[in-house]
Amino acid sequence: MSIDSPALDDTHSHGEGQHDSPEKIDGRERLGVWLFIGADVVTVGALLFTYLYLRAVDTSGHWMSMYGYKGSLHTYEYWFNAAANGTLKSPTLIHVGTVSAGLQWVVAAITVVSAAVLWTGEKSLRAKKNAKSFSATALLAALLSIAGIVFSAVLLKDLPQIFVSINDSNTMSYTTYDSAMMALLASTIFHLAVLAFLGLGLSIRATRGVVSGDRWYQVRLVRYFWVWVAISSVVATLITTTITYVH
Amino acid sequence: MDNPPKRSLQSFYWTWGILTAVGVGLSLWLPRRYLPEAMSNDANLTKTTMILFSICAAPVASGVYAGALHILRHYRYRGEGVPPAAPQIRENTKLLVSWLTASAILTVFVLVWGLGALAAENNSASSNPLVVNVTGQQWVWTFSYPGTHVVSNELYLPENREVEFHVTSEDVTHGFWLVNMGVQVDANPGVVTTIHTTPDKMGVFEVRCEQFCGLNHAFMDAIGYVVTPQQFSSWLAAQPQRA
Amino acid sequence: MTTTLEHTATAAQPKGGGLARHQNAGTAIVCGVVLAYVGWLIGRKLLWNGSDNWGDEVTVLTITGWMLGFWIGIGAFNAPFQWLLGRDNTRADNLYYAGEHQGRARYWKYTTDHKVVGVQYIIVTMGLLAIGGVLAMAIRTELITPGTHFVNQQVYNSFIAIHGMVMILALIVAVAGPWGNFVMPIMIGARDMAFPRLNALSLWTLVSAAIVLVGTLAVGGLPVGWVVMGTISDQAGPGMDFFAMAIVIFTVSTTVASVNLITTILAMRTKGMTLDRLPIFVWGTMITAALALYAFPFFFIAEANQIFDRTTSTSFYVAAGGGTSWLQANLFWLMGHPEVYVILIPAVAALFEISSVMARKPVFSYRTAVGAMVALAGLSAVVWAHHMFTSGWAPSLGGPFMVTTELISIPTGIFFLVLVGTLWRGNVWMKLPTVWMFGFIFNFIIGGVTGIYLSDIPLDEQLHGTMFVTAHFHYIFVGSVLFGAIAALAYWFPKVSGRYLNEFMGRISFWLVFIGVQITFGAMFLSGLKGMPRRDASYSFAFEHTNFISTMGAYIIMAGMLVLLGAVITSWGHGEPAGPNPWHANSLEWQVSTPPPLENFDVLPVITEDPYHFDEAKVNA
Repeated sequence: MSIDSPALDDTHSHGEGQHDSPEKIDGRERLGVWLFIGADVVTVGALLFTYLYLRAVDTSGHWMSMYGYKGSLHTYEYWFNAAANGTLKSPTLIHVGTVSAGLQWVVAAITVVSAAVLWTGEKSLRAKKNAKSFSATALLAALLSIAGIVFSAVLLKDLPQIFVSINDSNTMSYTTYDSAMMALLASTIFHLAVLAFLGLGLSIRATRGVVSGDRWYQVRLVRYFWVWVAISSVVATLITTTITYVH
Repeated sequence: MDNPPKRSLQSFYWTWGILTAVGVGLSLWLPRRYLPEAMSNDANLTKTTMILFSICAAPVASGVYAGALHILRHYRYRGEGVPPAAPQIRENTKLLVSWLTASAILTVFVLVWGLGALAAENNSASSNPLVVNVTGQQWVWTFSYPGTHVVSNELYLPENREVEFHVTSEDVTHGFWLVNMGVQVDANPGVVTTIHTTPDKMGVFEVRCEQFCGLNHAFMDAIGYVVTPQQFSSWLAAQPQRA
Repeated sequence: MTTTLEHTATAAQPKGGGLARHQNAGTAIVCGVVLAYVGWLIGRKLLWNGSDNWGDEVTVLTITGWMLGFWIGIGAFNAPFQWLLGRDNTRADNLYYAGEHQGRARYWKYTTDHKVVGVQYIIVTMGLLAIGGVLAMAIRTELITPGTHFVNQQVYNSFIAIHGMVMILALIVAVAGPWGNFVMPIMIGARDMAFPRLNALSLWTLVSAAIVLVGTLAVGGLPVGWVVMGTISDQAGPGMDFFAMAIVIFTVSTTVASVNLITTILAMRTKGMTLDRLPIFVWGTMITAALALYAFPFFFIAEANQIFDRTTSTSFYVAAGGGTSWLQANLFWLMGHPEVYVILIPAVAALFEISSVMARKPVFSYRTAVGAMVALAGLSAVVWAHHMFTSGWAPSLGGPFMVTTELISIPTGIFFLVLVGTLWRGNVWMKLPTVWMFGFIFNFIIGGVTGIYLSDIPLDEQLHGTMFVTAHFHYIFVGSVLFGAIAALAYWFPKVSGRYLNEFMGRISFWLVFIGVQITFGAMFLSGLKGMPRRDASYSFAFEHTNFISTMGAYIIMAGMLVLLGAVITSWGHGEPAGPNPWHANSLEWQVSTPPPLENFDVLPVITEDPYHFDEAKVNA
């Protein structure tokens, strides 16, 4: 392989601390974000696989039911003492309902809206170059994400617990449906938290002038990820609100 | 720099041939010497398959080994310092195509044999197998015979009758392995898995747990006996009645 | 040296690095321990969700604290929070992060220079191999004769699980870590990786995960097998929480590393370095990274589900609650099978590179070699259930998985064609890397053929769960991958240290390890054929001879590896000096000085051909 003296090369510094032009850096950062999104696609895919698999096997017919006692009605101590005193009557088969579909769609809608807000903000920034206005838009998107977190937390809190007592082993337990929903909600909250961080960061950076009408590449990178989270939210919610009971 | 191709290739072919013969010899001997005594149709199939696959593998492995030995003998640089450049051969399409074709044929053969054996195994289900329920529990195997009240920790089977095992577990996943029958399936909690085989030789056989299941996994064995149908019936009758 | 490193107005410029000037592995560990304690406190005092297995929640919170504290202490969060506040790194910062003017200290810090990261990976790999190796010796010593000897079953069962996972971690990074990082960017004519900070992140995250994994030994171990099947793992003690969290942390490391490797290779090649002029090792690294990107999230979710089961009483793997261990098995093996090719491909790709240089001829059938690696990676994603042939799961899918699995033998066979074809009619230079390569060829045949046996379902119904399987994959992991990794070490050692890895000690090590492998795992095949299950703390007298022989072989391997360790230690400081291009190779890493300059090239090269042109004239120049 021959190493000729180069006609042109990128050894000259462009910008702070970088050898390459902003376009080149943006090129590889975009590739990096897409690859991260790829890994996240597989991760969310695995979560949905978990949900669908557990429903498909419906081991012992317990996808949405479990033998126990309506745990949520009392504290764990109440149940524990009842079990210890031997005052628990025989366990019943408890059927859990689906998690509120309406609230799930609220979370998905909020995520989609926040993505739309950010995307609109990006377009506006590139066109009108008003960094201050973009700063407010990004902050709004971040706040929407936090709202999404709040609603997701409500959904989590409402997952019904069932007190199970087998052979002196006592525990509050969840059906597989609720288990899968818990994992999906945890993932949602984590993703929304990342979005909130990113939105807040863009907002602050726009205020400080690091993000502007001329330096908007990072906004696009964040937008890629944001849109992916919105898509995954819609897809997941579609699955968990339509494919529910085992027939 | 180049050795005359014909002469040196002769030694390569000879080496290939000799190593293949050794390989075939090992293929015929090792499985028979080391596999457990085969006491079912499936175990016999296992033995045959292993011998056959080994025989198929022998010329492939030998070819690669003969090639490596040939390189070590004829193409090793024995001078001082950096070796000079060798012929800059980048491709040999004929060789590549032959190699791919040969490996494809071998793969297809092995596949067809394997799929055929698998199908034969699955389709051999008779209409009236003896059903035995197998329960794994840390760390003991329990066998029960539906239709009777017999529950036992030893597995009695009548010769020449197909037996279908319904396997489950009370706790963690175990591996129900009939060492001499060439079949195994996991015992999972909450589900029932099934395997079947036909014992065709009388004698004592081993049942081992082959799926790690905790502290005493290494000791989760059971003894089995293949007996005549008459002995089997008498054994069943002689078992204590349990509810 | 280079104008880019000189500061003409150093006095006037602020020193770079900021907080990072005070952060290193020590602060990382201290912060990790402190936050672990905070996590423990929160768990014990504040959090109570009403279940009776609160021990696991406390453990998980403690380890979460460790994970966050370690990252804070090493400086991983510096850049994200600076980004948040709109303060980006200056050139001085970046040079500081790259380790400029820090000497040896930079190896203990969050250094972004890919060459530093490469050396750090060498150390981590060696450390993991050492720990896994000690456990292996303990295992084989316990199995020297039937019965219980110096450890009880619980401890033994724990040893095999941790040995397994530690070695898996070691082998995943063994070639891609050191050489994918140190060598690959130079090979493609780049100044560094695409995301230097992510490079440091992947290394230090691996360290954090490895500490948690090995920490399992301190909390009662992991007596559940390294595949941590769902049902038995639900039963296990806090060691299982450590394991699951270690995996969660580890998958962050691999994901970040994969993104970095792929982006670097696709976006940072120098002018003229088209994909068909790429050194084949770079192809191998890229294919591996893509496969890892796909596979490891499954592991993450498999273990996250397990953590949920153990802390919040969900029922993912609990049959009584409607869950199934088969879910864990599917998720695990969806990762697990691609993972073994993540382990194998870098070693094979390094050997392709070595075979060409040592035979003084181009890589034989370069395009087919690349195609075979791609095919292998692609197929590996659809074969996972061959690990579950005897589980009872979906028997009707046995046939299709048998088909995909046996198809893998075709691209694997191509590897032999390429290696032997490259060496054939070459002027083979029998130096240390070449010697280990021949060992690979011998062992990989045995490992590969025995894999075909296992892919046949009727045969698998006899051999699954026996020591035959263990022998098969040890021929691959030890006999093949480790040999490839050592060949790569011997090959690139002069570029890292400026000295040859001691030939004499290296050859003694080779013969000891090679012979030891045949004895240990050859006899192990026989143990398996005879009917010895794997993961047995004790065994029947029928298997005593073959086990005794295996143990003797293990000691020979240990001797060989110790000699190799001695060779590495003595050669690094006092070995025979090697010039910048001791093998007279053409790829770019050999065209720069040893050690390479901080940013690799004064002037980025322009490439006009692949590195596989060996001309008489050039060699003698």
